[in-house]
Amino acid sequence: MTTRLIVASLTIAASVVFAEVEISPPESATQAEGLDAWSRIFDVASHPRCANCHTGPSDRPMWSGPTYGTTRPHGMNIQAGDSRMGVEYLQCSTCHTTKDTDWDNANLMPHAAPRVAMGWALAPVEADWFGKTSDEICAQLRDPDLNGGRDMLEIAEHLNHDLILHWAWNPGGGREPAPYSLQEHVDDILIWGVAGMPCPES
Amino acid sequence: MRLTVNGTEHEVDVTSDMPLLWVLRDELNITGPKYGCGIAQCGACTVHVDGFAVRSCQLAVGDLAGGHVTTIEGLASPEGLHAVQEAWIEHQVAQCGYCQSGQIMQAASFLETNPEPTDEDIDAAMSANLCRCGTYPRIRAAVHAAAKKLQEA
Amino acid sequence: MASVGKIARRTFLIGSAAIAGGVAFGTYMVKRPIPNPLLDDLADGEAAITPFVKIAAEGVTLITPRADKGQGAYSIQAYLIAEELDIDPKDTIRTPGLPGPAYYNAAVMTEGSPLPAYDESATAETIRSVLRVIPKLFALQMTGGSSTVPDMYDKLRHAGAVARETLKEAAAIRTGFARAQLTTENGHVVTPDGDKIAYTDLAVEAAEIDPITDVELRDPKDWRYLGKPGLTRIDMEPKCTGAEKYGIDLNFDGMLFASICANPGIGGALESFDASAAESMPGVQSIIEVKAGNAGVAVIASNTWYAFQAVNAIECEWGAPAYPATSAEIFANLEAAVNKEDNFDHRQRDEGDVDAALAEGEVFEAQYRIPFLAHAPMEPMNAIVKVTDEKVEIWTGTQIPLFIKNRVAQNLGIEAENVFVYVQPMGGSFGHKLEMTHVEQAAEVAASVKGTPVKFTWSREEDMTHDYPRPASVMHARGKIKDGKVDTFDVSVSQSAMAPGWFGRLTGIGIPGPDATITTGSWDQPFAIPNYRVTGYRAPDMVPVSSWRSVGASGNGFYHDTFLDELIHKAGADPMEERLRLCLHEQSRKVLEEVAELSGWDGPSMGEDKGRGVAFCLSFGVPTAQVIEVTNTDRGIRIDKAFIVADVGRVLDPMNAEAQLTGGMIYALSHAINSELTYENYGPVQNNYHAYEGLRLYQTPQIEVRILENMSGIRGVGEPGVPPAAPALGNAIFAATGQRIREMPFNKHIDFI
Repeated sequence: MTTRLIVASLTIAASVVFAEVEISPPESATQAEGLDAWSRIFDVASHPRCANCHTGPSDRPMWSGPTYGTTRPHGMNIQAGDSRMGVEYLQCSTCHTTKDTDWDNANLMPHAAPRVAMGWALAPVEADWFGKTSDEICAQLRDPDLNGGRDMLEIAEHLNHDLILHWAWNPGGGREPAPYSLQEHVDDILIWGVAGMPCPES
Repeated sequence: MRLTVNGTEHEVDVTSDMPLLWVLRDELNITGPKYGCGIAQCGACTVHVDGFAVRSCQLAVGDLAGGHVTTIEGLASPEGLHAVQEAWIEHQVAQCGYCQSGQIMQAASFLETNPEPTDEDIDAAMSANLCRCGTYPRIRAAVHAAAKKLQEA
Repeated sequence: MASVGKIARRTFLIGSAAIAGGVAFGTYMVKRPIPNPLLDDLADGEAAITPFVKIAAEGVTLITPRADKGQGAYSIQAYLIAEELDIDPKDTIRTPGLPGPAYYNAAVMTEGSPLPAYDESATAETIRSVLRVIPKLFALQMTGGSSTVPDMYDKLRHAGAVARETLKEAAAIRTGFARAQLTTENGHVVTPDGDKIAYTDLAVEAAEIDPITDVELRDPKDWRYLGKPGLTRIDMEPKCTGAEKYGIDLNFDGMLFASICANPGIGGALESFDASAAESMPGVQSIIEVKAGNAGVAVIASNTWYAFQAVNAIECEWGAPAYPATSAEIFANLEAAVNKEDNFDHRQRDEGDVDAALAEGEVFEAQYRIPFLAHAPMEPMNAIVKVTDEKVEIWTGTQIPLFIKNRVAQNLGIEAENVFVYVQPMGGSFGHKLEMTHVEQAAEVAASVKGTPVKFTWSREEDMTHDYPRPASVMHARGKIKDGKVDTFDVSVSQSAMAPGWFGRLTGIGIPGPDATITTGSWDQPFAIPNYRVTGYRAPDMVPVSSWRSVGASGNGFYHDTFLDELIHKAGADPMEERLRLCLHEQSRKVLEEVAELSGWDGPSMGEDKGRGVAFCLSFGVPTAQVIEVTNTDRGIRIDKAFIVADVGRVLDPMNAEAQLTGGMIYALSHAINSELTYENYGPVQNNYHAYEGLRLYQTPQIEVRILENMSGIRGVGEPGVPPAAPALGNAIFAATGQRIREMPFNKHIDFI
C-alpha cells in the first residue's frame, strides 16, 4: 500500500510548497527491526526540537539543546495555560507568528522565535516526552488513549500534517535539527508499527 | 502590497518578507512601535493584529493576510485614551518610555482575554516585554488599575 | 545689567537679550558683570546669551539643556524654571536647545573628589568648588554622574525668577503700577485691578529694558510644583500614546537609511571585505567603507530593514585590535596586576596599621570578580545626519553634544560653528550615550550623499558587540575580626583605567594621574574600621571601557559591602547592628536605621530556605541602604521583597525619585543575576537580549522606598539605587543558603526562578 500526500495544499495557502513525504509501510518487519526503528524514533522524540514542547502536564515549554545553554523552562515566564496556546496569558503566536509564505526562509534569524504556517502551541498533555525514558515514551505512543487514538498510519499522517513537526527538521537560525529526516522518521514509525510497536525492556 | 493600519489603508512597495515593524516605521512613518531587538526578545514592537498582540518584528508583512493592524497611535478612541493608557499615566509608569508602547499594547490585548487578572496572571502575560529602566512594579500596579477601569466602564 | 552684589557669590549670571520678536533669559557666555556692548548691535541676542527661557509672541519656551535618557531630566528642568516663572510647563514649548559652552555641567566631576562625600568640611567644599570649575574650562556640556539636579537647581530657578521679575517690570512700565504691586499667575502678570497680561504679550517690551536680576528665590515651603507628591512628568502622556519622538523616530523628506558592520575588535582595522552579495539586495543604494570611529562597512538603503539585511550579507576580514582576544586572557591580566607595586594606582584610604594587624592571628581572605557589562538601553545607537557644503546637522540622543560637535567638525574638515547637534530624547542610556562612535560613522556615511539626510542605526547585534562596556575587575580582600567585631579590612581592586581612556576618546586629551573609578564606592564609605585600607591597581589598558550607571560604585559597592558582610558573619555580629556600629556618618546611620525599621529587620535568618541581606553604599553623595528577602525554592532563588532607603538632601519630584531608586535597583539586580559580556576573538559573545536577559517582570519583587532629606544640599538619584542591590541580594542568598557568591553574574553559581 502506498499513500502519497502533499500536505501543503490541504491546510494552507496554495502558494506554500512543502517536501512530499511518502507513507509506505514495509510488507513486514521483525521485532528486532521494530526495536531498531524505535531507538531512532526515540532519538527524534527526545531531541530538543521535539521534546521542548512535549512537556506533559507542565504548561511551560522548555529551552534545552546545543543553542540554549543550560536546560531550563522557556524564558520570560512563558506559560501556555490549559489552552496549550497561551490564550490565558500571552499567546504563543504573539512571538511565534504564522508564516505562510516563503517558508524555506522563515527562520533565518538566530535566536528569533521560530514560526511555521500554523499556530504555535504545546503538544497535548498526554504526549509527555520531556526528560522521559525510551520505554516511557514508547508506552505512550502505542497507547491509543495517550496518542490521540491513532494507529500507525495515522501517526505517520499526523507527522505529515503537523507543520510544527516539519519545522523540527528545518528549524533554521543555527538550531540543531531533529536527527535523521522527516521521511526517515516516518519510515521508522511504519517499520515500528508493522513490527507490532515493540518497546524496549526497561 | 496593501495593508490597513489604524483604520487607514496604505499601499507599500516592499518585499513580502519585510517585518511589519519596519514597514510601519520606515515606510509609513508610524513610529510608536519601536525596534529593540528584532528577535522577539523585548516586545517594544508590539502591535495588535485583529485585536491580538503581535511582535511586529516577527510578522512578515506578506503574512498579514488582510489582518487589520492597530499601533499605539490607534489605541485611544475619539472619546479619550484607552484605560490602559490612563492607568499608565496615573501610575507614572514610564521612565525612558521606549518599551512602553509595547507594554501598553500587550496589556491591552491581555486584558481583553483576561479581564480580572491576578498578580500571577500579569507575571505570565507581561514578562516577555523587557524594560531596561525597571518600571515593572508600576506596570504591575497599572495593569491592575486598568483592569478595574475596564470593569467599571 | 545685574548689580554685582549678591550675584558675585554665584558662579553664573543671569541676564537677558533681545531676540527676534521677544526676549531670552539665561547665562552670559562671557561672565562679565558689565553691560555687553555687543548687545546694542545685535538683532538676535542669542549670540551673546545662552538662554534658559525665551518669551516671544508665539509662546514661552523653556530650555532644558541636560539630556533626558529616561531619568526625567527634561521634566525636572522645566519645573525648576516654571516654579519661579509661574507657568504650567505643559503650556510651554520645551527644547534642549543647541549645545553651547555656557551649558557646562559644574557638578559632573565632583564625584571624583579626593575627599569622601560624607566629609562636609571647609577643605572638602573648597576642593569640590575647584572641581566645579574644571568642567567650565573644558566646556563639559554633559549629562551624567547624577548631576543634573545639583547643577541646575539654582541656575534654572534664577533664570525663571529673573524672567518673571523682568516681565513684571515691563508690565509696570506699561500699566503705571509699581512692580511690587504686580503678581504673576500661570503665564500672566496680574495687576491690582485683576487685569491679566500674558507674558507673550510683554515679550517685546521686556526685551527693551534691563533685566531685573536682584531676585530672591522662593522659599521651598511656598513651592507649587517642586517637592509635591502629585508632581507628574511632563513627558508621561506622550510616552503612553506613541507621540514621544526619540532620535530614532525622526523622519525627513527624502531621508535614506543606513547601518553598519564594524570591527568587533574595537580599534582594529578593516583588512578587506566582500560586499558582492549585498550590492544586489533589495533597496540597497550604496556600500561605503567607513574609517571614522571604528572601521567597518556601511550600507545605505531605502529603509533600515534592507540596510540590516545587506549588512548581514557582507563578509569582512578584521584586523586584531590592541588588546587580548579572550576573557580568560583579560582576567589573567587583571589578576596579575593585583598587589603589584608596578601597577599601584592610588590608595585614598589607609587607616590604622593594616600590615601589622594582618601579620598575626587568623586572617580571612577572599577573591572577587565582576564581568564586563553592556549598557544595552532599549533604543540602539542611532543618529540622523545631513551634510551639505555649508553645514552639518545631527539629530541624536546623546549625553555629550559638544564633543560630538567638535569631533564631527574635525572629521569632516568643517568649522565647529557650522556643525549643529539637535539633542533628542533617549530610549535609555545608562552611560551608553556618553560615547559617539556611531555618530562619527553616521557623519562619514552621510557625507557620501551630500544634501540627503541619512538615518543611521546600529542593529541590536551591532550595538551589543560594539559597546564600550563597564570595566571588568577583580578584588582581593583580607580581613580580621577581634572580640566579635570587624577589626581589619583590606581590599585591593585591579581594573584597567576607565576615565582616562574615555576622556581621551572624546577629546584627544589624556587625563594624567590616578583613575579614581577603580575604587570609587570602596574607599569612600562612611565606616570607621580600626585597620582600614583600600588600594587601586591599574591593569593594562585592554577592551576600551566606559561609564556604566553608577560607574566605579557599580562594582565597588558589591566588593566593599559583601566582604564587610563576610567579616561581620565571621565576627558573629548582626549584619545591621555591626554596620550601624561601624558607621561614622550620622545621615548614613539614619538611612540604615530607617531601612531596618522599614523592613522589620530582626536578623538575617527568616526560617528554612529564607533569608534577608542588607547592603549600604554612599555614592554620588547619596547614602543608600537596601534590604532584600529571598527564598531558596526548588526552582531556584526567588526575590520576595526589597526595601530601599536613601537620603537625597531634598526631594524635588517624589514619584520620579522613587522610580529612579527602584529602577536603579532593578537594573543592578538584572546584571547581578544573569548578565555579562564574555570576550572571544576580541568581541563579546553576547549579541542580543536572549544572551543578556536582565530581569523580567515576574522576577521583580515588591519594592518599598523611603526617601530622607537629612543631607545638606541636593543630590541626583539616577545612580545611587544601583550599588547596594547586588550585595544586598548576595548577602540574602548567603543568609538563606549559606552559599557566599563572590562573582557576578550570580547565576554562574546558583539558579534563579
